[in-house]
Amino acid sequence: MELIENIQKGERAAIAKAITLVESSKDSDQQISRQLISELIKKPGKSIRIGFSGPPGVGKSTFIESFGSYLVTQNYKLGILAVDPSSQITGGSILGDKTRMVEISKNPNTFIRSTPSRGALGGISMGTREASIILDAAGYDFIFIETVGVGQSEIVASNLVDIFTLIVGPGSGDELQGIKKGITEYADIFIVNKNDGELKIEASKTAADYKSALSYYKKLDELEKQVLLVSAIEQTGMEDVIKTINQIVNQNKQKGIFEERRADQLEFWIEEEVKNIIASDITKRLTSKGNISKYSEKVMKNEMSMYEAVETITKDTLKQ
Amino acid sequence: MTNKSNNSFNTWQKSFEKETKKNYRDAKSETDEGIDIKPVYTKDDLENFSFVENNSLPGQWPYTRGPKASMYTNRPWTIRQYAGFSTAEESNEFYKKNLESGQKGLSVAFDLPTHRGYDSDDDLVMGDVGKAGVAIDTVEDMKILFNNIPLDQMSVSMTMNGAVLPVLASFIVAGEEQGVDRSLLSGTIQNDILKEFMVRNTYIYPPEPSMKIVADIIEFTSKEMPKFNSISISGYHMQEAGADNVLELAYTLADGMEYVRAAMSKGLDVDDFAPRLSFFFAIGTDFFMEIAKLRAARTLWAKIMKDFGAKNERSLILRTHCQTSGVSLTEKDPYNNIIRTSYEALSAILGGTQSLHTNSFDEAIALPTDESARIARNTQLILQNETGVTKTIDPLAGSYFVESLTEELSKKAWDIIEEIEELGGMTKAVKAGIPKLKIEESATKKQAKVDSGSRVVVGVNKYKNPKEPSVDVRVIDNNRVRDDQIKKIQTIKESRDKLAVEKALANLTNAAKDETNLLAPCIEAVKLRATVGEVSKALEHVYGRHFAKSLSVSGVYGKHFEGDKDFMKVEKKVIDFENANGRRPRVLVVKIGQDGHDRGAKIVATSFADMGFDVDMGPLFQSPKDVAKDAIENDVHAIGVSTLAAGHKTLVPELMKALSNIDPKSKIIVFVGGIIPEQDYEFLYKNNVSAIFGPGSNIIECAEKVIDLISDNLSKE
Ligand code: B12
Ligand SMILES: Nc1nc2c(ncn2[C@@H]2O[C@H](COP(=O)(O)OP(=O)(O)O)[C@@H](O)[C@H]2O)c(=O)[nH]1
Ligand SMILES: [Mg+2]
Repeated sequence: MELIENIQKGERAAIAKAITLVESSKDSDQQISRQLISELIKKPGKSIRIGFSGPPGVGKSTFIESFGSYLVTQNYKLGILAVDPSSQITGGSILGDKTRMVEISKNPNTFIRSTPSRGALGGISMGTREASIILDAAGYDFIFIETVGVGQSEIVASNLVDIFTLIVGPGSGDELQGIKKGITEYADIFIVNKNDGELKIEASKTAADYKSALSYYKKLDELEKQVLLVSAIEQTGMEDVIKTINQIVNQNKQKGIFEERRADQLEFWIEEEVKNIIASDITKRLTSKGNISKYSEKVMKNEMSMYEAVETITKDTLKQ
Repeated sequence: MTNKSNNSFNTWQKSFEKETKKNYRDAKSETDEGIDIKPVYTKDDLENFSFVENNSLPGQWPYTRGPKASMYTNRPWTIRQYAGFSTAEESNEFYKKNLESGQKGLSVAFDLPTHRGYDSDDDLVMGDVGKAGVAIDTVEDMKILFNNIPLDQMSVSMTMNGAVLPVLASFIVAGEEQGVDRSLLSGTIQNDILKEFMVRNTYIYPPEPSMKIVADIIEFTSKEMPKFNSISISGYHMQEAGADNVLELAYTLADGMEYVRAAMSKGLDVDDFAPRLSFFFAIGTDFFMEIAKLRAARTLWAKIMKDFGAKNERSLILRTHCQTSGVSLTEKDPYNNIIRTSYEALSAILGGTQSLHTNSFDEAIALPTDESARIARNTQLILQNETGVTKTIDPLAGSYFVESLTEELSKKAWDIIEEIEELGGMTKAVKAGIPKLKIEESATKKQAKVDSGSRVVVGVNKYKNPKEPSVDVRVIDNNRVRDDQIKKIQTIKESRDKLAVEKALANLTNAAKDETNLLAPCIEAVKLRATVGEVSKALEHVYGRHFAKSLSVSGVYGKHFEGDKDFMKVEKKVIDFENANGRRPRVLVVKIGQDGHDRGAKIVATSFADMGFDVDMGPLFQSPKDVAKDAIENDVHAIGVSTLAAGHKTLVPELMKALSNIDPKSKIIVFVGGIIPEQDYEFLYKNNVSAIFGPGSNIIECAEKVIDLISDNLSKE
């Protein structure tokens, strides 16, 4: 495909069009997209994928602007996938991430794509994983994935990246109790943002809360989870972040954890794809037959028990 | 109520209900402010006031009836027309002509590069030099601007906020070099940075250092420039950005409180500076509301200043400039604007303003021509000389309606002021972006009312003129202006004492680090012919440049159109589009260059999203290259450029070039909205612009056209 060549040459328009294809809900686009990804995945690039998750308003975009500016001055190439949660009832979105990434969006060494999430699970939109493969093939050193993290969704997001970072705000330590366990499993780095001005004391306190909470859950064979204090606005703490990232990447590579994770993720992905295909296939069969209502009527009239109906429909559908 | 009056009211009510076939209780109409206007007001309405005092007099506590005892009976308001364009030479000519024709005070409009602290030779401002105001790069320009205008006699108002330090410094030095001591200079510097962050968008530094600069200027002028107003606390821009009158009133006074605190934190006594605080309000078409607003503003400010411990009576008194509303004026059937402006001017006068700007009828087309400016000025001259409105002070005092409205506005505004105080004051609120969002919400509602026809705008959504007149337009050749300015800068840079300038700029940077007053070192640098851009950069080294984080309202527009046929038709087209193309129509809405008019862009973005589009919103001040990169990376179907400050003939072709530089086969279509004189349509179409949406466009119609154009374009593949 010519498209592949152009992506590998790093052509902006080609990368962008490819991402459109992988995000598209059109069948014909999906087919091309599958071919494309199958090809690209054969020749992986060198990029490190880092997830930044956290509640809305915690400063993820601002952090990425700040941290990203720091990286591009060191001549790294940076791809950013921002999944924007602002979808409305009507389904339309205002994608405003770029208003928070003013400096880096100008830089020729960045590629920034926003995607409306449309309420998909984990704030991850369809195609985020594929998009990161495209950016990898295009030669980006780092790929940042910004997602809104709420509860379970972190698990999905962490499955797309090599390093998963949770960004939290000053004073968020109170919520720790409830989510402690999930967090330690899925996040590698905890960034307490807004460590500036009046919020400094609270931010330090929050960092301490995280540290002590995490100390309980340290596993022996794993690296210590890192808690870092930064101010995205004042651009402080950025060296620590890159240092920590490099450290984790190196150690994970040495210990084989890096590859292991990627293999696990591939497995997860394949499983997910299979499930998706089956699910959509089944849905199609169910709706095309339209006979559920027939059974529900029977159940209403007491001609059949509810579970008999379920069983019959299931058998019927799977048989086809 | 006495029995007798009770009886007669009941009789009236019956007659009213019979005539209107309506229940009296349902006969109220709600204003944008959420105030219910009754069909009739009576003496009873004057009871239980907590702000307005029924028997007060002009020039007396609480100053509801005016700041002075004699008001216009002694001296009419000052006719002060805001103007400035192209070079200092041309603006100077324009000023002198106006002064000969009856204008009394000057009011300088600077161009956007000056506002934002860039010199005319900066690449970032290519399309903006001299376009929407006069370009000032050095004190030499300032001297030319006031050539043959004696600064010890002429009061000069300057709308300058971001680059307030170099500009005020240049003004002081220009005065000195004219032989006028700074203590004799009279006039006003706007110096109101908070509303820049909210609505006007010509900030340079982040909020905290910006507030410090405001305080520096108040401190300096209170000591050295006794006849000069150190600040003009402005609600005007808020209303123009879409605020209703309560929001305008409350936020303006809350801003004022913040400035008082900032000045007091410098160790000044409130009475040292408060008499030199001045205000600025917009006067829109809601005739009585605007009158009540000015009366309420004075009433509340007196109370606020008393609470600050002011002892000097002059500290309690709110003096204000007013400008008729530009946003009430239309591109369509433009002569209607003369009529609108006349009513607004009368409203301002009945409200007791101290000075007034009246807009020209070509407001929604371009900067005024000599001819349209003459009519605007004459609007005021006729009011002053022919109508008799100057003969009686506050003639509406005692009006059941106007007094009630004054009270009600005061109350509503006071509630908001208290809320903001609880949040920790306006600086905090502004940083959190709350006031801006409230104003945008209000603006979006207004747009929905006009687009749905529930608010009539004559000549726009009703009573359209079948034969639109074509009007003359002031044309500014910005390339010529830019070249002239660049030459002047070069000459100055060659002849000045380079080392001395460098040292003065270094001193300024150090002063910023030391947190000492910045105006004195600015004056030194400017005297040595440092440019506005150089001075601004010297401070930027310490403070950095501010980038606004923009929030967006959502659902506000759509809510007005539940069940609306046209709206649903577009919604359906969007869904059909998604089914056919695998994604929604995606549009990037942008501002390019230094143009900070974001009201239209924000409204269009949120409304399009409400109809189901995916809308990418660019930040302010992007270059054409930034926009192209953004558009291509997000693979948008179309770019909508919102341009109001006349940069379109430079910036749109640049954008086209930038797009094809990145992707020679780019299929992204470009359309343009905002202030585009008809004379420029052909030029834009020749540059491959797909559609142009001027002021007054119905957004639902825009959206339909956009989606059709995108579909057409895709089907060409
Ligand atoms: C409101 C206003 C302001 C407000 C702006 C508030 C804000 N945050 O936006 C304030 C008071 C702050 C302001 C300031 C200035 N202003 Co002003 N302002 C206006 C005014 C009165 C109305 C603009 C407006 O908001 N209209 C309402 C919105 C909803 O309409 P709109 O933007 O036109 O959008 C509609 C259509 O055009 C179209 N559309 C627009 N964009 C898009 C985009 C897309 C994608 C689509 C589909 C459609 C579309 O659809 C919209 C809905 O109908 C105009 C005159 C006028 N009547 O138009 C002057 C005007 C634009 N201002 C002008 C000037 C000069 C200035 C200043 C530069 C003055 C100075 N020297 O200091 C300053 C600086 C501002 C800055 N930072 O850039 C001039 C520009 C001159 C020119 N073009 O030749 C004008 C034309 C007035 C004049 N005749 O002198 N201004
Ligand atoms: N004080 C402070 N505020 C910040 C910082 N980072 C972000 N913010 C503010 O937090 C708000 C949300 O930021 P944004 O990046 O949009 O958050 P996101 O939703 O997580 O992407 C904005 O108003 C930012 O200005 C920081 O380091 N310090
Ligand atoms: Mg974000």
